[in-house]
Amino acid sequence: MQVYLPIAEMSVDASLVVGIGLAVGLLSGLFGVGGGFLMTPLLIFIGIPSSVAVATSANQTMGASVSGLIAHWRRGNVDFKMGAVLTAGGLAGSALGVQIFALVRQLGQVDLVVAVFYVVVLGIVGGLMVGESARAILRRRRQIRRRLHEHFWMHGLPLKMRFRQSRLYISVIPPVLIGFGIGLLSAIMGVGGGFVLVPAMIYLLGIPTSVVIGTSLFQVVFVTAAVTIMQAISTQSVDIILSLLLMGGAVAGAQFGASLGSRLRGEETRGLLGLLVLAVAVELAVGLLRRPDALYSLGPVL
Amino acid sequence: MRGVRACLVALASLAATEAAGQSLLAELSQREVAVTTGFAGAELLVFGTITGEAAQPGADIIVSLRGPNASVVVRRKVRVAGIWVNGPSEQFDAAPSFYAVASTRPIETLLSAEERRRLRLGLASLPLSLRGRIEDPAFRQALLELKQERRLYSEDPGGVRLVADRLFFARLFLPPAVIPGPYRVDILLVRDGRVMAARDLPLTVVRAGTSAEIWRIAHDQPLAYGAAAVLLAGFAGWLGSVLFRR
Repeated sequence: MQVYLPIAEMSVDASLVVGIGLAVGLLSGLFGVGGGFLMTPLLIFIGIPSSVAVATSANQTMGASVSGLIAHWRRGNVDFKMGAVLTAGGLAGSALGVQIFALVRQLGQVDLVVAVFYVVVLGIVGGLMVGESARAILRRRRQIRRRLHEHFWMHGLPLKMRFRQSRLYISVIPPVLIGFGIGLLSAIMGVGGGFVLVPAMIYLLGIPTSVVIGTSLFQVVFVTAAVTIMQAISTQSVDIILSLLLMGGAVAGAQFGASLGSRLRGEETRGLLGLLVLAVAVELAVGLLRRPDALYSLGPVL
Repeated sequence: MRGVRACLVALASLAATEAAGQSLLAELSQREVAVTTGFAGAELLVFGTITGEAAQPGADIIVSLRGPNASVVVRRKVRVAGIWVNGPSEQFDAAPSFYAVASTRPIETLLSAEERRRLRLGLASLPLSLRGRIEDPAFRQALLELKQERRLYSEDPGGVRLVADRLFFARLFLPPAVIPGPYRVDILLVRDGRVMAARDLPLTVVRAGTSAEIWRIAHDQPLAYGAAAVLLAGFAGWLGSVLFRR
């Protein structure tokens, strides 16, 4: 069934879009991430303009994250104070990101900037994930215990605050900066940023794993909501119809993914996710380096 | 001197049209095309008849459909440090957003190049208002090719069927990417390299139904639209957590 997307101004096969939502939802349920980093490239691949893909993907990620946030909230796994600090940084970062996005759109370089961000961020994160899970699998055999909480330069920063639920007493500067970075990525890549935020919270901030997912979802929901509104105002590229079709598939897919994920071990799941992230990065890098089939492209005057 | 000649040509063609004013009748299958949520393109039937003495062997029909002008940018990718990026660009200030021409025979054999240019007929004679920073015909060619790929520009030399030198019809396809606005259908009766009669009919493409509302709100009230998108996503997420409560 063909559906006309009012903002993208094109018609797409509805079952294809719902299928993409389903597949991304499945993977996000399996790995416990929003899946925006897969959604945006897939949408661009089926011919959705980059700007619409990024803005709509942020909107869709918000919907998917709300489900997760409610579930974690019920179990009391959300550190609201930490979430608020991360969100504050995230809002500033996403405001800057949306401005940068509007600027590069005017310069006609959206495709390039989005692709470069994906290659660099996914390349680094995917590489780290694969390396980390490989080491974790090896460590499991050797049974070496790491210290729970290491102290380094970060803990000497001022503006300390107590985060009761995370059992931390740290400076607010690192979480604000991390939130800022995630907000920036969220605006430019159309992702929630969970795949960067979760490791950063665990390894840089030392937040206990029990509250990490819930707290990161809290930040993701608010930042993607802000990105949606800011993109709607500055680029008018949020496509509600596209977003609804994607969410329809993603909500169902996430349930299958979650039940599938409970049968896998943490290290293996993270390793698989890392490989997937790396694969997307490599695919996009090849697209940047290979001589394009069509040298010329058409765009509206902005 | 040139101006005088142009005036004379214009007068002569006007006189020819007047004399044969009633020799061409035409109508469209629809005067309005609605872009709705289920829009997957539309087929427009242009039909008509050649009447009176004009209905003799040797007559040809050219049908053209032109959409509203819109400025576009054509960009060329260049290699910078191993990466392909958008490099030089050329802006066309008034390229028709849609242009289709169909005829009984190739238009090059029906009318001279000069006549086609005067009538702005055919892809080769389309005025595109090149802003012209770079004098490179490759950009014009690229624009024509990209538009043809998207079925926004087309030239169909056998697209008009003429039955018994009298009755004619042509099918023109409007793809999903057409933009709303006033369109114009021009029908020309051609004989011996001259336009004997002309008719033009208006066609309107409008956004209709839900998709029109969505587009309008997104552009007129972006804040409300963004807030609605957020609420909708929040609601969908909540619904998902209720439906699949574990």
